[in-house]
Amino acid sequence: MGVVVEWLNAFLWGALVILGVFFVALVLTVVWGLIGATAKLSNSTVARGIANAYTTALRGTPELLVLLIVYFGSAVTLTSLAKFVDPSVKFVHIPPFWAGSFAISLIVGAYATETFRGAFLGVDRGQIEAARSLGLSPFQTLFYVRLPQMWRLALPAFGNHMNSLIKDTALLSVIGVEEIMYTADRATTITNKPFTMYLVVAIIYLAFVSVIIKTVALLEIHANRYLARAR
Amino acid sequence: MADKTSAAMIQLDRVTKSFGSFQALKGVDLAIERGQKVVVCGPSGSGKSTMIRCINRLEEHDGGRIVVNGIELTTSVKDIDAVRREVGMVFQQFNLFPHLTAAENLMLAPRLVRKIPRKEARELAMHYLERVHIPEQADKYPAQLSGGQQQRVAIARSLCMKPEIMLFDEPTSALDPEMIKEVLDVMVELARDGMTMIVVTHEMGFARSVADVVVFMDNGEIVEQAPPQDFFHQARSERTKAFLSRILTH
Amino acid sequence: MNFEISLIWESLPKIAEGAELTVRLHLLSLVFGTVLALGLVLMRISGIAILSWPAFAYIYVFRGTPLLVQVFLIYYGLAQFEFIRASPLWIILREPFWCAIIAFSLNVAAYTAEILRGGIQGVDQGLHEAGRALGLSTSQRFIHVTAPIAIRLSLPAYGNEMISLMKGTALVSLITMYDITGVARTIMARTFAPYEIFISAAIVYLGLTWLIQRAIAHAERRFSRYVRA
Ligand SMILES: Nc1ncnc2c1ncn2[C@@H]1O[C@H](COP(=O)(O)OP(=O)(O)O)[C@@H](O)[C@H]1O
Ligand SMILES: [Mg+2]
Repeated sequence: MGVVVEWLNAFLWGALVILGVFFVALVLTVVWGLIGATAKLSNSTVARGIANAYTTALRGTPELLVLLIVYFGSAVTLTSLAKFVDPSVKFVHIPPFWAGSFAISLIVGAYATETFRGAFLGVDRGQIEAARSLGLSPFQTLFYVRLPQMWRLALPAFGNHMNSLIKDTALLSVIGVEEIMYTADRATTITNKPFTMYLVVAIIYLAFVSVIIKTVALLEIHANRYLARAR
Repeated sequence: MADKTSAAMIQLDRVTKSFGSFQALKGVDLAIERGQKVVVCGPSGSGKSTMIRCINRLEEHDGGRIVVNGIELTTSVKDIDAVRREVGMVFQQFNLFPHLTAAENLMLAPRLVRKIPRKEARELAMHYLERVHIPEQADKYPAQLSGGQQQRVAIARSLCMKPEIMLFDEPTSALDPEMIKEVLDVMVELARDGMTMIVVTHEMGFARSVADVVVFMDNGEIVEQAPPQDFFHQARSERTKAFLSRILTH
Repeated sequence: MNFEISLIWESLPKIAEGAELTVRLHLLSLVFGTVLALGLVLMRISGIAILSWPAFAYIYVFRGTPLLVQVFLIYYGLAQFEFIRASPLWIILREPFWCAIIAFSLNVAAYTAEILRGGIQGVDQGLHEAGRALGLSTSQRFIHVTAPIAIRLSLPAYGNEMISLMKGTALVSLITMYDITGVARTIMARTFAPYEIFISAAIVYLGLTWLIQRAIAHAERRFSRYVRA
């Protein structure tokens, strides 16, 4: 255990990086999910087609591969664009932190699309009709009537999506993000204690996941509070 | 503007409406004066809901004309919003917003649509909750209220927008028998205050005591339309008589 | 930058060669993992604390940590221990292939056990009572009443888990193996054409995913014959 203490600081920093990725990706995931669900429920064949292609492709492709496509793809694209402007440029890339957050959010966003779609459909049509007949605009209806009821329905599945988000961050050392897998890797080369180091990583992830599970459980109680009958 | 009162408040001319190939309304004519109370009855599937939902454009009619308080219902968004502000609607399933308390249900539309400040909206809400006799339930969520209380909150919610017309689609059909009266009482009071009302209901006692006109629909058409005394005692059509004999026995 | 369709056609066959390894990893882990899951779920629902608690903890830990960490713990981690390197098991545990199989099986088992538990809980309580009324023993009720219905209820989630596992196998490319992703990464290192190469790989995966979905749909039809009119 003594060896771990020496690396504690490094693991702590790595854990902070993971948290950063998690929150950036979480926001983006919600955005993709809402756009995707809206597209899937829209009347436009094109929008539905694009959304279906998105969810099919991202739910059927390994997370690692998506990460590689996003990171190296964007690098190649940016590099050739930069060379166009300044031929002396060798290599341009999106910082791994952002490329990684983006890739993870794309993956989990595909699942969130399905969750949000179900939640949209789960809100009773009568609610929308009541809002409209009171004179609320479609936007007001969405914001004040549909979304507040939707998130209660989406919450259990979305809790799983958050766990996926945090666990997918373990892949990011592959593109050079200095998170805790990276720390463990470095620590292993020096201490020659791979099991100990990866066990620390496992414990950190388990802690994150436990916090998410607990938080979601509390949120569910909060979200369902108005459904409790009197007494 | 001044002569609006003389014209019909709600005018339906040969209104038709189809769902796919099925024609739910087959040319409905109806004229309702300001302050009139109209009770609509008829067998299930006869088009009663469809008709009143066309009046505040929850459904779009596809033939004929509908004029509400001088505004013809077209595809113009502005006109529809204007009409919806003047027409309140009460649903069979209440459709209260479950995530808002009773008072918040009442305050939502005044705040968002009429841009009334929160405090005034709350006062407005309490005023109407008193009118439906449940001010003490203001801070409960719908799930904590009985069906009858929920429906009274729903009525108050519509009244908060100060509509000129109220539409009721079977407001007591989802209620346990012992709760029907409390809702009907509120509706009777509303009628006495001069509200223009269209009420789809099979509560014939309510029709007798409140209605100026009773309308019988069958198969997407208005079959009979008469003041209650005539309607109940000398209905002309056989279909009406058959319907009445069925409904009045229980 | 130019996108070369021809490169996709050239690399697809090579990448598809990696698919053989992907499929082998997938099927073996699925079989081992599912068998393990059956034991786990029985422990979990046994109602006996010394059985259900370890099962709960196992499921919680394996679902609560990234698959990659589990793979690394087994492939890189176990070598830390002298007694393991000295044991006869080392022949297996030094092979990336078997390490991957072990990690995937343990992981799949945790998820599948949880899926099966959901299926079992979804079976109508009335059916248990009907079974008891007919005089069936506890194990008879489980085998003849609960299990068939639970399996049908679990199938959709199990299908998703199969797809998850398929995607998870890509991680072996990080422990020196040449599965679909592994092959794609070597070609990519040579050509530096990430879109073409990685999209070719994605196409192969999507094909495999599609096959799994077909298989599950077929199984669902079989298991729900009695549900339809
Ligand atoms: N959204 C809809 N889509 C298809 N058919 C509908 C729809 N709404 C109503 N209908 C049909 O129109 C007919 C009239 O319905 P409705 O107006 O609800 O009848 P009522 O309220 O008199 O019971 C029924 O046959 C019903 O099935
Ligand atoms: Mg109706």
